[in-house]
Amino acid sequence: MDVSEYLGVFLDEAKEHLQALNDSIMTLEQEPDNEDCINEIFRAAHSMKGMAGTMGYKRMQDLTHDIEDVFSDVRNGTLKITPNIVDTLFQCLDAVQAYVDNITETQDEGTEDNANLIKALADIRAGGGGAAAAPAAEEKEAAAEDTAEEGAEEAAPAAPVSNADAPWYRIKLEPSAKAALEEAKNEGKHVYGVQVFVEETCILKAARAFLVFKGLEDIGEVVVSDPSTQDIEDERFDLTFCLIFITDQAPEKVVEIVKSVSEIEKAEIGEYDLGGAAQDAEAQEGAEEAAPAAQTPEAEAPKAASAPPAAAPAAKPAAAPAAKGGDKKPVGKPVVSRTVRVDIDKLDVMMNLVSELIIAKNSLISAATSSGAVDKAVTSQIEYLESVTTNLHESVMKVRMVPLENTLQKFPRMIRDLNKSLGKKMELTMTGEDTEMDRTVVDEIGDPLMHLLRNSADHGLEPTEVRLERGKPEVGQIFLHAFQDGNNVVIEVGDDGNGIDAEAVKQRAIERGVVTPEQAEAMSEKAIINLLFNPGFSTAKVVSEISGRGDGLDVVKSKVESLSGEEDVRTKLGEGSTWIIRLPLTLAIIQALMVEVGEEKYAIPLDSIQTIEDVKPSEIKFVENREVINLRDTVIPLVFMNKTLECESTRAPEDDMVVVIVRKGEQLAGLVIDTLIGQLEIVIKPLGKYMKRCKFISGATILGDGGIALILDANALV
Amino acid sequence: MDALMAAESGENIQYIVIKLGGEQYGINIKYIDNIVRIPAITRVPKVDEYIKGVINIRGTIVPVMSLRLVMDMDDDEITDKSRIVIIKTESDDLIGVIVDEVYQVLTLNTNNIEKVAHDPNSAKASFITGVGKYEGGLVSILDLASIELDNIDGKANARKEDKKEGKKDNK
Repeated sequence: MDVSEYLGVFLDEAKEHLQALNDSIMTLEQEPDNEDCINEIFRAAHSMKGMAGTMGYKRMQDLTHDIEDVFSDVRNGTLKITPNIVDTLFQCLDAVQAYVDNITETQDEGTEDNANLIKALADIRAGGGGAAAAPAAEEKEAAAEDTAEEGAEEAAPAAPVSNADAPWYRIKLEPSAKAALEEAKNEGKHVYGVQVFVEETCILKAARAFLVFKGLEDIGEVVVSDPSTQDIEDERFDLTFCLIFITDQAPEKVVEIVKSVSEIEKAEIGEYDLGGAAQDAEAQEGAEEAAPAAQTPEAEAPKAASAPPAAAPAAKPAAAPAAKGGDKKPVGKPVVSRTVRVDIDKLDVMMNLVSELIIAKNSLISAATSSGAVDKAVTSQIEYLESVTTNLHESVMKVRMVPLENTLQKFPRMIRDLNKSLGKKMELTMTGEDTEMDRTVVDEIGDPLMHLLRNSADHGLEPTEVRLERGKPEVGQIFLHAFQDGNNVVIEVGDDGNGIDAEAVKQRAIERGVVTPEQAEAMSEKAIINLLFNPGFSTAKVVSEISGRGDGLDVVKSKVESLSGEEDVRTKLGEGSTWIIRLPLTLAIIQALMVEVGEEKYAIPLDSIQTIEDVKPSEIKFVENREVINLRDTVIPLVFMNKTLECESTRAPEDDMVVVIVRKGEQLAGLVIDTLIGQLEIVIKPLGKYMKRCKFISGATILGDGGIALILDANALV
Repeated sequence: MDALMAAESGENIQYIVIKLGGEQYGINIKYIDNIVRIPAITRVPKVDEYIKGVINIRGTIVPVMSLRLVMDMDDDEITDKSRIVIIKTESDDLIGVIVDEVYQVLTLNTNNIEKVAHDPNSAKASFITGVGKYEGGLVSILDLASIELDNIDGKANARKEDKKEGKKDNK
């Protein structure tokens, strides 16, 4: 079977399961007796095993199988969770992750057998039950390994279901089919009724059913099935289907074939009694009783009785489908998933088209204005068009939004590992995991956040002894809060550790030649702390494996800025520090204020604008040789855009100045421009690598008349 | 077999011949995306002198550079014949170069192109891979890799260094 087209689904699900395993094992570490958790782990490991097997990833299948085994022991109570076991399990998960990564890259799982891990798992199981319990455990776990399958395999052939209420008697027989059955009987062949149960977690039920049919047809003939073959092919069935089957083989053989298909939970088989078919009508009436009836033969099966814990779960799934099968119509409509998985590339294309549309709309507006063809009808249609494009843009943007959760999920595990490797006690609290952001931003922001968290763990939190000395709780708190703030998403990462020692930073900066001692003297505490974002700066005295050689914070800075975001830090010595990352919700289309400097048009993102002021030239004051204005008791430095942009100002020196006050974090600056044009929805286009040396231009946009306006990056100007 | 034939009879390549300061230069036609009249060029502040600005080509923003300035000639004089040749580089970026005139399309056989030795002291020579001969005269074949950003920078810096006599400019 060609499985490549399912690869994407497989990888997605594998990642989900891995995450579930990580989460659950973390919980289990805290509450070793949490049964829900154990069951969850067992399920996830089991599904992973099945999926890996289906896709032909043998090594991954083996490893997950062994993980599953360990948990079946845990579930049966023969094994207690110890920190040791948890560590081994985490290593296993990392190994599985490595398989998944390999598959993502090369479609191949790689050649690492992880024999040591498999052995470690085996040791856990051998040691876990103790000498006396060992044989019992073995037996139990053999039964539990695939409880349902085991139960069915042993129970069904040993006590073939002869009850007239068996589900296959409810199949309506066409006269021709009946004749075929009778003929087969006369020829001395066996006629079996078979009920096949598909695993709940099965992804491709139709494909599994198809394989069952194919396998059976090698040794006999499937006369009729319920639901019909067509319905089965279209996946219009629940977790079970029945069929009547003619063969000269023994029932065990039939069951074996059915079960050789993966993700088939079990199969029940019984000799089909043609006389029984006559009871059709009664059988349907007796549908209600079918559930307990189906349960009986299994419970009576000798093997099943000897291992009641194993048989009980096996009987339950059997009961449910039997009851369902009793409905007049087999559940015809599968529950349709309400989501669609879409390739991110398609969304990119869509976003580009929306961008084009907005440019076209802007062109239309400017064409209509300049040609003088502005009557009421045109204006109202243009306004309508404007609202449609804006809504369209918003919808497409929303489609691209995913919760931050996917990125944040891995952090609890990371902090747990750091706990051990750093020998500090710490705890991570996260809020706002459901905050949504553009997919590309979410993908990119993981690394900077990881840097910040590691930083907090490594440099921020004091060693446990110091904490106790200072009267702080022994367990250090690390937090990550994400929330939406207007058109931005804010992520705060912080700790209740030592905070940043500005004096130490200053000394360090001077040592490293980042600033001269004179410069350092003149710098505010805030400015000094911001030096931390300089490349090649680290305050930790020891280079550690956790947070590297101080290349962390400048990576954070450059990454955040490449996403058009900004970063800031708040710190209080002795009480901890908080790093703040502020990111725009969307990257492609923004609202901007169009301005003119000289003869040229520029766009300033509306997000960064605080206010727009008219300022008389006489109000300009000088502080430290910089031109500033005093605006409502705030001193704001001025940036003359015509000087920065190297062009001639069109404003006469004695005229009032138009000053756009922009904000970066808590800092303000006043951009002196010549003329205001107005607000415009603009599409950001990259300027390309030839222009990247121009720091304060973040991109360009195409105007309605086909011209280009450059976008000013307020962050670089403040 | 084909390769053998090609080696003997050479390969025919089409070039767009442009004029720059009275000389003819050939650009391999397969790298040319478009040729346009000079539109309004939006100046970008604080970039190298040879970058004239950006233009809008079907909704894409394309940087425009002056080949004349890159090659250490006088600045462009925009006339009716001036054009911008949009080139698609190996790394799939679009870049426009201003030329004095687009002259003709020429098919040259590789056998008729002579390789030139690199002369590190001549700004022009480092942008040329060879010289083609045809009835109309000589045409210098432009080395398009050389106008990619990294190479230009290298050359510009190298020239700067020559002038400054040494001292590495650590960019």
